[in-house]
Amino acid sequence: MEKKTKEEFDVVIVGSGIAGSVLAKTLTNAGKNVLLLEAGLQAGMAFDPEAAYKNYQYYIDTFYKASAKVPNSPYPNIKDAQSIDVLDIEPITQTNSPSTKGYLVQAGPLPFGSDCLRGPGGTTLHWLGSTPRMLPNDFQMQTLYGQGVDWPITYDELMPYYEMAENEIGVSGNVEDQVGPDMSIENYGEGYVFPMKEIPQSYLDQVCIEKTQNLKVKLYGKEYTITCISTPQGRNSIPNPAYKFAGTYWNKKAQKLELAKNNEEYEPVGAIWDQNTGHRCEGNASCVPICPVQAKYNALKTLRKSDPKRLKIITQAVASKIYTDEITNAITGIEYKKYKYENSTVYDTAIARGKIYVLAASAIENAKILLTSGIANSSDQVGRNLMDHLVMLTWGLLPEKAYPYRGPGSTTNIPTFRDGEFRKEHAAWISPIDNWGWSWPVFSPGSDVSSAVSSGMFGKKLRSHLNDVLPRQLLLHFECEQTPDPNNRVTIDPQYKDQLDNYRPVIHYNASEYMKKSFEAAKKVSDQIFAANGVEDYTAYSVANDPDYVTYKGQGYNFWGAGHIVGTHRMGSSKEDSVVDKNQRTWDHENLYLVGCGNMPTLGTSNPTLTMTALSFKAAEAILKQLEN
Amino acid sequence: MESLFQTNNPKRHKIISDRFDTIQLKSSGEQFETASQETLQKKLEILKNDIQSAIELEHSTIPPYLCALYSIKDGANDYAANTIKSIVLEEMLHMIMAANILNAIGGSPAINTPNFIPEYPTKLPKITEDFYVSLEKFSKSSISTFLQIEKSAEHKPHPGKEYHSIGEFYASIKRRLKWLDKAIEGGIFTGKPELQITTEQYYGSGGKLVSVYCLDDAILAIDEIVGQGEGIDGEIEDPDHELFGEGIEYAHYFRFNEIYHEQKYRPRDSPQEPPTGKQITVDWDAVYNMKENPKMTDLPKDSEIWQKSYNFNKTYMALLNNIHDACNGNPQLLMQGIALMYDLKYKALELMKIPIAEGSSITVGPSFEYVE
Repeated sequence: MEKKTKEEFDVVIVGSGIAGSVLAKTLTNAGKNVLLLEAGLQAGMAFDPEAAYKNYQYYIDTFYKASAKVPNSPYPNIKDAQSIDVLDIEPITQTNSPSTKGYLVQAGPLPFGSDCLRGPGGTTLHWLGSTPRMLPNDFQMQTLYGQGVDWPITYDELMPYYEMAENEIGVSGNVEDQVGPDMSIENYGEGYVFPMKEIPQSYLDQVCIEKTQNLKVKLYGKEYTITCISTPQGRNSIPNPAYKFAGTYWNKKAQKLELAKNNEEYEPVGAIWDQNTGHRCEGNASCVPICPVQAKYNALKTLRKSDPKRLKIITQAVASKIYTDEITNAITGIEYKKYKYENSTVYDTAIARGKIYVLAASAIENAKILLTSGIANSSDQVGRNLMDHLVMLTWGLLPEKAYPYRGPGSTTNIPTFRDGEFRKEHAAWISPIDNWGWSWPVFSPGSDVSSAVSSGMFGKKLRSHLNDVLPRQLLLHFECEQTPDPNNRVTIDPQYKDQLDNYRPVIHYNASEYMKKSFEAAKKVSDQIFAANGVEDYTAYSVANDPDYVTYKGQGYNFWGAGHIVGTHRMGSSKEDSVVDKNQRTWDHENLYLVGCGNMPTLGTSNPTLTMTALSFKAAEAILKQLEN
Repeated sequence: MESLFQTNNPKRHKIISDRFDTIQLKSSGEQFETASQETLQKKLEILKNDIQSAIELEHSTIPPYLCALYSIKDGANDYAANTIKSIVLEEMLHMIMAANILNAIGGSPAINTPNFIPEYPTKLPKITEDFYVSLEKFSKSSISTFLQIEKSAEHKPHPGKEYHSIGEFYASIKRRLKWLDKAIEGGIFTGKPELQITTEQYYGSGGKLVSVYCLDDAILAIDEIVGQGEGIDGEIEDPDHELFGEGIEYAHYFRFNEIYHEQKYRPRDSPQEPPTGKQITVDWDAVYNMKENPKMTDLPKDSEIWQKSYNFNKTYMALLNNIHDACNGNPQLLMQGIALMYDLKYKALELMKIPIAEGSSITVGPSFEYVE
């Protein structure tokens, strides 16, 4: 039997990741009553210092004990609200199709390579924290390059919301460094600075920059000049005295969100259990999967700034279905299943009611819930256009020791191929210089130890071998922008359900020729960077190495998922070919908003969290307007 | 739900009256207005010496607090460990703020001299009350000593050059700063601004650092120090004022008192009475049994444990040297001190675990001694 909750809220939000948390904070502080449904465990929603500390220490302990330190390794993966685990990714073959090993049902032909976290705080608990903005040209891919679609908004329209997002996340960076193709200080407006100064670039970066800065490379008959710039990121650093904004607030009179001016120096936001912990990145180098001091931003920092009197949170509540009024098409309630304890098969079903509903449950879950409910899909775009950055990695040994494995995952990137005419032919990419050796492609340093031992090394010889090799490891990655393809999609199938009788997402996924050509191009560029730096190339691609293996012109390439899951309910300028409008409201239901990366029509070459957060502020503003009119 | 959203921003009690000012005014009989500039300069030198003593006083509490903290076994006594840790961070903050005040009036903090580290057990510098502070493990007795350290004074005239409490000592410093700044031509805040440690170098430890460029900054710094330490004095007139509870960061005395009584304060508890709130789990036995007031001379010279103890003290000296240099013209150095603090912690934890002799239930413990 369904229980009907008597309370009615202004807004019901599903999901406490960064999008849901930005909405909960903004709306409650503007005086609206909000109900937040979170699928993960209650323990993760602790905000009193003692319980928050205890729970987080539990995450850290779990991470220390995990044999494979993958992004979700510190966090509980409960059967009632399963998360995708990259350890479950396996080749999809004739005898193994679909692959059903993990939470996702992978129909292929290639497995989808990324994960996300279903739990309080969402994927920001394990994100890397890089926060470059998208480029103005990224918003007009169809007009400029004949690829994908244009966004219904321009970069300029999004600019004020980018500033709110950078404030909320607490971005450290140097605006003056942000120069490259279609990138200049003008992208940020005159006098703009980030809340905090840039995170110091690692020693490894400095070694690489020496021979890479202004390097000329040739690609398909054209010459490009490589540059290396510092990467803006959501981790705490030295406050910039020139930064003058406090926080985002609802200006009721002007009916818009604004950043409040601040005369005090910006104060870094510390750990949720202790405001004095985590004011600077300490270089623990475990950002993915977990920052031990919470110097890295996570969405719980935002959520805890909500107005507690106006926010009700129900945890262990998995949204399962959305009900609509047959006549008006308005949403009348969200059904959720509240399970009693971890992995319990026992649950109660209830319906949450509000004036406005917001799905913020991740690109894949949002699409799944909509498909389950059969709503918001007059465009037939729900679930389609699933995208990620396809990450091609190259690795080798530097001639000198540059000491990787220190500091955050990446502090420098090469923006040279983020934009250009080549986007008509192949995908653009951003190239972060990686600080963590070969850990991603070959599980260094553990694999270096075991392969040395199995070749008969031990004692002093083993030590000196590791001491020679590990400090010279270099990893570059090429995050190639996947373009929207309607056949890369999330579907549902009654054959595949979880233990709460909710659908498991079925994923159909492939890499197009446009993507494969970018691997070829990126490898050509990588070869020239390696040559200039005297790097001995150890890159080796095979299906055994990584199940995402493709061939292009007879050459094999691996790509890895970037964890940037986008596109499944895209935003557009017409209801014929998109699911939401530029305010993130569904075309089909006037009281249903979708937030999160699923709205992004194209991906660009930046890590999507910052842009998605900016869009969430835009959605919050639209919701406030709608509630007050 | 309410407890979900405790704010960490300290709504700290700013109810520290200038009670000492009035008491001292009457008893001191000092007439700054009529004193010659020469006399005033002498008074300023005495004040500088006293602020140096304040730095030493703040520092003298840190080794005892660290011993209690590091003696707690991993995973046990989370509440007590976090409380002691937060208090020790505040003492560090106070020490640096005292150094900022001294630099602001043209003094030079001395943080690495042989007599800077007290010999434990020790009386607190400048404090007259008759109790000794030891380096010892976390126990009911050490917490009771900490309570004495942080206790606010009763109102009675001080007996000369010493004071009944830390708060009283600072009140005297504050009063003299005010008067000398007025009486001395050109004021006393003539120190080089570039000597100040700022929030750029000192962060996230115990609260927001105050850099001192003028009298108002110095007063703010002192109020912060005294507010965090003793806080309220039990003479709040408004009976409805909530003194404790979520969102209120109360003074060291009361935080230690919660551990002592294994119970939290409730919002309307009286400061004169023990706490009456929720139980706190304190496991007085989940503690490494470190030797009380250990000395390197107790250990067989050049033995492995002597060497470890020596290495610990070397690290401690390196840290004091680092802070000294940072407070004497190189503020940027302070950031490098963080690695030393971690190193110090790991070395201390090791000494907490090693028995003083084979089969002994007592462990070596960190001795915090001056070494070359």
